[in-house]
Amino acid sequence: MMDRPLKSRETIAWGFAGLGCFLGLWTLLTVSGLVPRQFLPTPLDVVARIIELLTTPFAGATLPQHLASSFGRYIVGVSLAALVGIPIGLLMGWFRLLDDILAPIFEALRFIAPIAWVPFAALWFGTGIGGPVMIIFAGAFPPCLINAYRGARFVDPRLIEASRMLGTSHLRTIVEILLPASVPSIVAGLRVAAGLGWQSLVGAELIVAATGVGFMMVQAQANVSTPTVMAGMIAIGAAGMLIDVLLRQGEALILRRRGLGA
Amino acid sequence: MTRWRQTGIGLATFALLVGLWFALTAWSGIISAGRFPSPTDFWSAFVQINTRGYAGGQLAAHAFHSVVLVVMGFAVAVSTGVPLGLWMGWSRRAEAAINPVFLLIRPIPPLAWIPLAILWLGLGDAAKIMVIWFAAFVPSVINTFSGVRSIERPLLEAATMLGTPRWRFVAEVLAPAAAPMIFTGLRLSLQAAWTTLVAAELVGALLGLGFILNVAQQDIYPAMILVGMLSVGVLGFATTWLLGAVERRALVWNVAGSER
Amino acid sequence: MGSILFDNVSKVFGRNSAGIKALDNINLEIAEKEFVAIVGPSGCGKTTCLRIVAGFEQPTSGTVSVSGKVVTEPGPERAVVFQHFALFPWKTVRQNLDLGLRNKKLAKPQRDDLIAGALRLMNLESHADAFPHQLSGGMQQRVAIARAYVLDPEVLLMDEPFGALDAQTRVAMQEELVRLTRVNPRTVLFITHSVEEAVYLADRVVIMTRRPGRIKEVLDIKSKRNVENWNRFQKIEDVMDQESFIHLRTHVWRSLREEKPDTTT
Repeated sequence: MMDRPLKSRETIAWGFAGLGCFLGLWTLLTVSGLVPRQFLPTPLDVVARIIELLTTPFAGATLPQHLASSFGRYIVGVSLAALVGIPIGLLMGWFRLLDDILAPIFEALRFIAPIAWVPFAALWFGTGIGGPVMIIFAGAFPPCLINAYRGARFVDPRLIEASRMLGTSHLRTIVEILLPASVPSIVAGLRVAAGLGWQSLVGAELIVAATGVGFMMVQAQANVSTPTVMAGMIAIGAAGMLIDVLLRQGEALILRRRGLGA
Repeated sequence: MTRWRQTGIGLATFALLVGLWFALTAWSGIISAGRFPSPTDFWSAFVQINTRGYAGGQLAAHAFHSVVLVVMGFAVAVSTGVPLGLWMGWSRRAEAAINPVFLLIRPIPPLAWIPLAILWLGLGDAAKIMVIWFAAFVPSVINTFSGVRSIERPLLEAATMLGTPRWRFVAEVLAPAAAPMIFTGLRLSLQAAWTTLVAAELVGALLGLGFILNVAQQDIYPAMILVGMLSVGVLGFATTWLLGAVERRALVWNVAGSER
Repeated sequence: MGSILFDNVSKVFGRNSAGIKALDNINLEIAEKEFVAIVGPSGCGKTTCLRIVAGFEQPTSGTVSVSGKVVTEPGPERAVVFQHFALFPWKTVRQNLDLGLRNKKLAKPQRDDLIAGALRLMNLESHADAFPHQLSGGMQQRVAIARAYVLDPEVLLMDEPFGALDAQTRVAMQEELVRLTRVNPRTVLFITHSVEEAVYLADRVVIMTRRPGRIKEVLDIKSKRNVENWNRFQKIEDVMDQESFIHLRTHVWRSLREEKPDTTT
């Protein structure tokens, strides 16, 4: 009742067919006049606009410049989330009392979408770098914390017993046993955090920024420049995908060195 | 014993935090009222929005509006996403044809659809639902697809051996077998729906929780911002809990483990 | 009704030159209501034989026919009992049995009747509304057998059905299967690693060579069994104590050992 696996030839053929249909239908909608070109530029229009934006500024900067601004605050936000989240997660995984105290707080905050912090971010930081960084932090922090916590909490008990038997202090246990043992979990968490951070960045830039790709898209929307909006979407998507691919490679590398590869 | 201990510590922490809140704001003024509200400020804002209303309506009206949009967007996303995931999981050809398009759309963060949605559909409900649909659609498809692909082969062979016709196969074998992963997708979809709605309402709306946040921010009214944020949290929790209840009911046979 | 014919069946997995030849010219005739067990070293293709009869695999050359019709796809007339049960965990025992019957478009009263009969046959009446996870391994396999039996299949295909059970449950199930096939006989093709199991259960035992699998030998058990009248014993250990049984079992072991490359020199 289930399909047999396809040969790679067939897969590629069907892929092209599907993609072709999609792009074809899209172009047809615009070219036939069913949807005004102003609202639905053709795929080629969008590509042309992307190329244009590589050198021509819009809303104060070229596309690469906007991307650079976005990326800058992204790095700051994610790094902060990792620097704060991972140690706290490890400590919570090791000290039961800390877990009992902090876990309910994080549980309660979990349901407030990172984006809901935007008004406070705007209030406290205006359109400075602090605003987006705070939102990115809100998005990237939970995976960093949770994965570090899980790594520490669910470490092989026999490793802990061996460490105890050897008379290891708390601090040394955390740094030399828990941390290395949790690396796979932490690395996976970083990858998820990077993804969530990038998504939160977009949201933040729609509201509390004066540069960056999200800001560019909002300006484009106000100016009814649909190709620019779409160019921004594609740029964000491509950048996000690149980040994910790079991190997956890094994760695979680290796991392989540990002998944990798939 | 540990249950009591945990609850005890939780309550103690909560009490401590509230105390700290009072101390840092109202009593000592270390945190000025313009940056973060004191508990009393918060309370009066809460009372205000529930009686006189704020930003065009009472809290209940805003909350109701937001919840309705989330539920509608979620429903549309799930009722399109899950069947697509099932189809792609079952038919290799469908997977091969649809995957490239999916790979093109998937990396675009849900919130990035907001400017386009506003351009196309304005600031009304339709635009919100469209954005929620895009955001919540993807996790449903991916998790349903994964769920179908990870079904053990003998189960599928047994169903085929029993002569199960196509639609019964999908409804009574594929879908239930993939159900645990489908529900994981649903949970992610609900999360995405809330995030997207709040963001969309922040960017442009006339009613709703995100709108409260927006207006409060412009009015420089921190207490009301806090009211908005907590409302989002509470409603997010409530809807998630409801979904969890449905999941527990539907997966009562699944002893192998329901993931959090 | 229910005869199986392997006609020059070969099976190659994978592309031609890099392919693995699992079966090489299998010719075998199984009569109606005959119980045939296939034993052989790992990878000899015995499971492949069963899967071809079931319709899950196609032979590369040759054909397999059941009741004179060439097999092309799976169906309830060739019911399968899987090693790991393959019960639908979201359905109760009763619903698991019901699916095949509903596919046959039988009316509810008739289905209920058949299910009640199967439950009684396999001693599952008190568990009819339980979910699989609530049952032990042995009980789950009984449900799987009931699910196959309730379809009144021409042929019963059993793929190492007791392999996932612990030793004691396994013995109980073997005795159960003997009882079952006496009360309700039909053609059975039974794949197993266990020589004792094969000799105890089958009318004939087919011994296969190692890959590429060929039929090395076919041993007739039934005649010995009838001559010595093993049927007079209820308990399996009494049967296994018989000289005729030991003799047959040793014969199969010796034959299999020749198939194992000698690693002791």
